[in-house]
Amino acid sequence: MPGMPDSKRPVIPISIDPTRLKLTSDDASTGTLIGFRCKDCDTTVFGTAVFCQSCTSRNLEAVELGVKGILFSYTIVRIPPAGWPGDVPYVLGQVELPQGPQVLAEVIDCEYDDLEIGMDVEMTLQAVPAESGGPDKAVYKWRPS
Amino acid sequence: MNNIKPGREVMVVGVGLHPFGRFPDKDLGDLAIEAVLQALEDAKVKWKDVAIAYFGHVYYQGMSIGETTLSKLGLTGVPIVNVENACSSGSTAFWQAYWGITTGLYDMALAFGAEKVPRGPVTVTAEDAPERYIGGDHMMAGYALRGKRYMEETGAPVTALAKVSVKARQNAAMNPYAHRKDTYTVEEVLNSRMVADPLTLFQCCPTSEGGAAAVLCAREDLAKYGIDESRAVSIAAAVLTSGDYNGRGADHSAFSPYRTEPAALQAYEMSGLGPEDVDLVQVHDAATIGELQQIEALHLFPFGEAWQGTVEGRTALTGDIPVNTDGGLLAMGHPFGASGIRMIHETVTQLRGEAGPRQVANARVGVAQCSGAGDVTTVHILRKS
Repeated sequence: MPGMPDSKRPVIPISIDPTRLKLTSDDASTGTLIGFRCKDCDTTVFGTAVFCQSCTSRNLEAVELGVKGILFSYTIVRIPPAGWPGDVPYVLGQVELPQGPQVLAEVIDCEYDDLEIGMDVEMTLQAVPAESGGPDKAVYKWRPS
Repeated sequence: MNNIKPGREVMVVGVGLHPFGRFPDKDLGDLAIEAVLQALEDAKVKWKDVAIAYFGHVYYQGMSIGETTLSKLGLTGVPIVNVENACSSGSTAFWQAYWGITTGLYDMALAFGAEKVPRGPVTVTAEDAPERYIGGDHMMAGYALRGKRYMEETGAPVTALAKVSVKARQNAAMNPYAHRKDTYTVEEVLNSRMVADPLTLFQCCPTSEGGAAAVLCAREDLAKYGIDESRAVSIAAAVLTSGDYNGRGADHSAFSPYRTEPAALQAYEMSGLGPEDVDLVQVHDAATIGELQQIEALHLFPFGEAWQGTVEGRTALTGDIPVNTDGGLLAMGHPFGASGIRMIHETVTQLRGEAGPRQVANARVGVAQCSGAGDVTTVHILRKS
């Protein structure tokens, strides 16, 4: 928008990590987890890869991993790590994707008593202010599905 | 890939330890040098007899800190190598010292480590890294995920996890070097501040400061340096591994509970010993759940059953397989660079029969296992000669 100062320009959140999260809408409200599948041994990894972690082949293809998973384990974190920008306590979920990889992220929109290993969850996005300024980060989270 | 060809027999001939705790008036070199001097004195050798030195540490304290520290003992011109391998930095230094001697390159080596770990939860990624926003860069949260899953799969009650910590403090109460020497009950462990469910504060190791050192020498060279063979302890296996793909993606590998197993199997093969030969063991108990899963990965208990063995007292000093006899990380505390060599110190002390009130009867074979971020694992097997 010509003539508008930078500070007034609408800023759309950017992916927290474009090698793990691809945004699929112009307003950064939806996205998909991404990774690579090995065409030689069929192992899938979450995030970036050049060589297969399992068989070391370079015959990889980029794949979308979707938004669905199953809660493998969880914990309620009451003493957060340095730099954690969210609420405390928060729920950290270890989620297994149908393709095999596991993805750690905060679990939101769930009462503690309703958390259960094996429950179905889906990915959702939240905008979080960036620690060092600049546009907000679109951060992937889990919630019950 | 697994082409291990040991050569000459290598012995631990001296060990030293700076107490673990908080020492605001001492710098890293002060902590290290006290342990080194003790180890040299224990071996009854001189610094100028040492042919190579390896220094394990993690937090940056200036370049070439190993050289700067040892320069206080005299500039002998020997190679000095600084080693960073996360929580296994010290045990990696020890592993390198072993291989330098067994291959015939050196007669005698020094492995030492020291650390001044900052207070607060330990993180491994840099500022503004994606992990900071995702909330997963939290060592104890990682252990908590393992603990929650373990309890679900095995039926272990949280009181079994707490028992690991109670036992650690009981052992440390008899150890003047420990960071935490006061004992507590299962109830007190469970009522301490919650860090990450199910892990309370007393189920997590303190971050600490301290130093540890070991002097190693080829068996055939002991007489040359006038070393007392009766107090020397043989190294039967020295194994270091990195991540072994286990069917999970990279985001999960840091929390893979049984990554010690491949290193343990290599160590048993190298030594010709098996789990049934082990009399005592020191493992990486950064959190209570860590100890349970490590002793399973070492095949000392069937998978999923270490919690029962712990409840039955089998891992106590009076049990059939005593674990973390000096108090472990949970009570000794955890200065990263020193911890792996601290485990060697305790194992050697036990095998010499010099552990005083903590002495395990008839101890002949001891295992020291150390883990680190980045899927680092070391397993060392020591044997009374």
